[in-house]
Amino acid sequence: MSFTQQKEDKEIEEALVRDLQAGNLEAYDRIAELYQKKIYALSFNLMRNQMDAQDVTQEVLLTLFRKINTFQGKSAFSSWVYRITLNASYMKLRSKKKEPNISIDELLPSFNGAGFQQEKIQDWSGSTESLLFTNETREVIKKAVDLLPEKEKVVFLLRDVEGLSTEKVSEILDLTVPAVKSRLHRGRLFLRKKLSGYFEEYSSPKGEI
Amino acid sequence: MICCKECIDLLFDYFEGSLEQETKNSLEEHFQDCPPCIAFLNTYKSTTTLCRETLNQIEIPDEVRRALQNFLKEHKIQQKKM
Repeated sequence: MSFTQQKEDKEIEEALVRDLQAGNLEAYDRIAELYQKKIYALSFNLMRNQMDAQDVTQEVLLTLFRKINTFQGKSAFSSWVYRITLNASYMKLRSKKKEPNISIDELLPSFNGAGFQQEKIQDWSGSTESLLFTNETREVIKKAVDLLPEKEKVVFLLRDVEGLSTEKVSEILDLTVPAVKSRLHRGRLFLRKKLSGYFEEYSSPKGEI
Repeated sequence: MICCKECIDLLFDYFEGSLEQETKNSLEEHFQDCPPCIAFLNTYKSTTTLCRETLNQIEIPDEVRRALQNFLKEHKIQQKKM
């Protein structure tokens, strides 16, 4: 997105927020239209359940409306929307039975005393294209992301999936930029390891006819 | 000369293009001598792409879209009554 485009979007957003604060119900429709897909997608990726994501989206839209006068514009309006979405999703997740988290450290690369990688690394990056659009691959990827510990998952979803900047993610989560980078890197390492098991099987020479 | 561990620690910034030229050169020098780290680099990159392409396809299903529209309509009627 170009700088001018971003600037325009920001101005439109600010005007909508002012209208909504003034009690204009049409502005509410526009805001809902602009944000509902983002809210739904993020909450769905966190909870992986359509009904829950629908509930959260409704709740967030309602909160935006009810609390619009508490929004002071200290951060971007979109950051505020993401924060409300995350809080609502976490509340919902907490009310459900939770699967125990895997320790991320077990899945990070290991090195010998000389600093060399200990495990054999296979390069499966060239063989993913034909597999990408199969349902099985999609399920493997979703499962791997679901297994990410919460701290790494939220950073990964906002930055790598939503495509927000590191600075924006740090604003939303109230973290420093280095903390965002470190969590994202750990998250990617975890996912790489999880996906390796699957793709190595398909790219191994033994599997070829 | 950097080792594999340092190489992996630097991957994030390498992708961002935010490494200093000197560090970048040492890293690329390491890649030349270390096929496992190249494999790691390629699969690290693929992981991000694969996950993004799988997860950013999410659309609101039609029935949810309808439910949300009704919800907003109801809510607006209530607001007008207040």
